[in-house]
This record gives sequence, structure tokens and C-alpha cells, in this order.
Amino acid sequence: MPEPGMTADRDPGDLLRELAPQVLGALLRRFGHFDLCEDATQEALLAAALQWPRDGTPDNPRGWLITVAARRLMDAARSESSRRRREDQVAVATPQSELLSPAADADPGQDGDDSLALLFGCCHPSLSAPSQIALTLRAVGGLTTAEIAAAFLVPEATMAQRVSRAKQAIRDSGVPLTVPAGEAERGDRLRAVLHVLYLIFNEGYTATQGDQLTRPDLSAEAIRLARWMHRLLPGGGEVTGLLALMLLTEARRPARTSPGGELVPLAEQQRSRWDRALIAEGVALITGALAASGQAAGGPAIGPYQLQAAIAAVHDEAEDVDATDWPQILALYDLLDRVAPNPAGRLSRVVAVARVHGPAAGLDALAALESDRRMAGYHRLHATRAHLLGLAGQHGPAAAAYREAARRSTSVPERRYLSRMAAEQAGQAEQAAQAEQEAPPPGGGVR
Amino acid sequence: MKYLMLIYGNQEKWDSILGEAWPAEIAKQEAFNRKYSGTGELIGAYGLADAVNARLVRRQDGAPAVTDGPYLETKEYIASFYLVDCENAERAEQIAADMPWADQEPTEVWPILHESPTNP
Repeated sequence: MPEPGMTADRDPGDLLRELAPQVLGALLRRFGHFDLCEDATQEALLAAALQWPRDGTPDNPRGWLITVAARRLMDAARSESSRRRREDQVAVATPQSELLSPAADADPGQDGDDSLALLFGCCHPSLSAPSQIALTLRAVGGLTTAEIAAAFLVPEATMAQRVSRAKQAIRDSGVPLTVPAGEAERGDRLRAVLHVLYLIFNEGYTATQGDQLTRPDLSAEAIRLARWMHRLLPGGGEVTGLLALMLLTEARRPARTSPGGELVPLAEQQRSRWDRALIAEGVALITGALAASGQAAGGPAIGPYQLQAAIAAVHDEAEDVDATDWPQILALYDLLDRVAPNPAGRLSRVVAVARVHGPAAGLDALAALESDRRMAGYHRLHATRAHLLGLAGQHGPAAAAYREAARRSTSVPERRYLSRMAAEQAGQAEQAAQAEQEAPPPGGGVR
Repeated sequence: MKYLMLIYGNQEKWDSILGEAWPAEIAKQEAFNRKYSGTGELIGAYGLADAVNARLVRRQDGAPAVTDGPYLETKEYIASFYLVDCENAERAEQIAADMPWADQEPTEVWPILHESPTNP
């Protein structure tokens, strides 16, 4: 039975997308054939999007969608089998009442299990990242191909091909649409799923191009999917960590760009504009997850999403950049470097070193990273050096490092910000040179 | 992240590939294109006509003014280009290294900084 309030006063689009994985899961459980079921589900969603606003939302929206999708599936199977002159394996004779029975039984676990299995299948490691993302957004997120294409600025035909090839790959490789039973494989696959959600969130968070009105908000979609996963796996520390990280990052969005569309770095953001409700929710989530991890003696180490969420929480709870608990942030980055070393984390750790021990110590720590060839071309390394040189009062070299970082950046707003910083540092260098010329050196005439 | 991949060459170079070998070389390229269309990462693959067919177009008094060219200083010019959408730079480099002729000819890989949506 639908929950009270589930159909009334809800955005029909939200409802449809929430039901999408349930409908597909129910079809798959009955028929298999991922690609056919997925097409049928998508057609049912489109039909609902047209009919429900006109005729009203049905009393049992889930049942309505399953019935329509099953009918489409039958039609497709019939035309397929007649085209190929063979009987399709799809059980055309399955009575629809049987198909719909899970809803009447109202086994709350079944839909969740189906949807989770679906998500694990869409994020299978044999698929490329773009394919995992496209398939997840369509089959689990319920977005249309046109919406996904708009979000990633690729032609719709290209995205349609990407989705159909990914479905074909799943069919050909015989990837089982189940959550792996084994602990180790389950852990690996869960990491892949979380990575896909993280990529979707980041794509939305960093996207500043294109018409915001016509591009679906991928960050909101990633948060929706992470919330949903968290409901299904409330004890999953990394699932909770990722959701908390997304919320704590999303909370800063209103302050992240200036009215003119310029990027505003964390240290300069107007913190009164941060979303306090999201911060409170994120902090509560990560606090709970860390407490649970701490209690589980001998359990798995605290994962990278939990650590990054904890760092974000420390930032978000500070009144300003100077009031930030930098020693704690440094300790968390040390942990992160041990658990999941990565270039971005290491550079952020260097910034924390500079905040705790001074810019010179930061530059020393940075020198250790510069010897790594893979790091040398990374624009954030140059930006970090520029930042530290600026703090150390070496404005000329700081300007040069900002210019180098700007050249290497592959994001337009970031490049504009780095160029502005380069100009600012160059200006300070010039002022310092002038001051030195005009005034005698400190203590000059006294000695 | 999207990347533009460029392969350079000139007529002399294409002529040096014997007639018999040509179909096999093309087939290799087609196999590459199919492979990465399959992974959803190749958005488009385009081969260009010879530089003799290239034109320089300006606008003069509101009308197109067309001249032959460009007369390139370089001995090699763009022969084909590929639009790739993949997870990161490392992956782009992996794909470029998988180009059929990558053991003899380098592929230029350019990150795409800005793009406008084509479908409003």
C-alpha cells in the first residue's frame, strides 16, 4: 500500500523518480532481461509524466507503473519474438496479478533489495565511468536520456547510444543484478557504487556552464540517491559518510560564487550564507557514523568518505577561517593519507600544515610532494604553493605560481579566480618594491 | 571531462602507406572507434580532407570573402580528430595510447575547457 501522503502534495516528477527503481526491480525479478525491462520502465515513466498531470495521480502509482511497463514489455517481447521467429524467454503468460502481488504483500525489504541490486549492477566495474553514471541516472534515478544528455552537454543521440551500449554490456557479460553475498566483493562493489554517486555529485557541484534552468541539478540527484542508499543501508559507515560529505559541501553552495559568478574560496566565503540546516544534518550523520565505527572494535577502519565528511564538518562548524580547529583538520588529513592517499588530499593536508606550523613548514611539506612526477603538473599543486608563498610574504613568486596554476587549470571559473589572485599578488609585490625604494630599510639610519 | 584528440599528418605520409595495407589500417581505426563508442567514451571521430580543400573565410562588408588556405608553415596538419568524454586525464591518456598508430605517431590530447550546450 502506498504510504499516506505519498501521492498527495508531492511533485509528480519526484514521485516518479522515486518509484523508477522499484518498478524496474519488480519487472526484473519477474522477467530478467535488464535492457528490455529498463526500456519498458522508461516508457511507463514517460506515459505517467504525460497522463498524471492531466488525469490525476492514480491511487496506486507503483501498481499503475508496473502494469503499464509490463504491458510495454509484453508488446516488445511479442514483436521481438515474431521478428526473430522464435519464442522469447520472457514469460508472456505471467498474470499481472502475480506481478503486482509484491505490492499487496507489502514486504518492505523486497523493493529495497531489488533497487540496491539494480544500483550495484549499473555501477559494475566492467563499465566505464561515463556509462556507469548514465545508467545509474536512468535506471535508478529515473532521469530521461534527454535530461542526462543535457546534464553532461552531449548530444541526446550520443547519450542514448551510451545507455544502450552499457545495457548491452551488462547483458553480454552476464553481470548478475544482485548484491554480492561475499564480504570482500560486496565491499569492492559498494566502493564502486559510492564512487559513481560521488562523481555525479561533483559533476553537479563544479558545473558552472550551460543554462542552469535546463540542466537538471546533478548534485541534488546525487544527494537524493545517497539519502535513499542510506535508508537502505543505515549501518553502512561509508554510505553515511558520503551522504554527510555531500550535505556539508552542498551547504556552502550559496556562498561559493560571488553575485558576478566568480569562484569564492572557502577562506573568503561569507559563512552566514551557508545552509545551516544541511550542516546540522551532515554533522549529525557523520558524528553518528564515527561513533559507530569507534565502537566496532576490530571492525573496518574509518573510510575515506567519513574522514572527508569529518573534515568538512570541522570547517562548517567554524565561525571563520581563523577560528577553524586546524590541528584537528591536520590530524584527519594524516589519517586520510594513511587510509586512502590521493593528490587532492595531500595538498589540502599541506594547507593544514601551514595553518598549524606556519607557511615555511607548509612549503617544506609541499617540496616533498613536488618530487612526485605525477603531482608536478597538477594545477592545484601550483595553486597551493602560490597560496603559501603569499602567506609567507613572497608576493612575486606567489604571482608566478598563481599564473602557472591558472594555465594548468581545466575549469573556466577556477582559471579566472587564479588569474585574479595572480594579479593581486603581483600588485602586492609592486607595492612592496615601491615601499622599499621610498622608505629607508627598517632601522637603516639608526645603526 | 571532455578531451579533443588530434592526429597530424600530410598527403606524403598517407601515400607512403601501400594500397594493400590501407584497408587494414582503416579497419584498425574503425575497431578503435567501435571499442570506445562501446564504452560510451567516444563522442565522435572525424577524418579531415586534405589541406588543399581547406578555406580561409572572412567577412567583408557583410559578405563572406573566401581564399584558399591555410598555407601552413608546418609540414603536417590535422588529419583527424576525436571527441572523448571520460573520467579523467589518466583515462584520456590511456585511450590516446590505444590509437592504432600510437606506437609510431603521437596523438595530441587537449582538455576541453569550455563548451556550450547544443540541445537547448
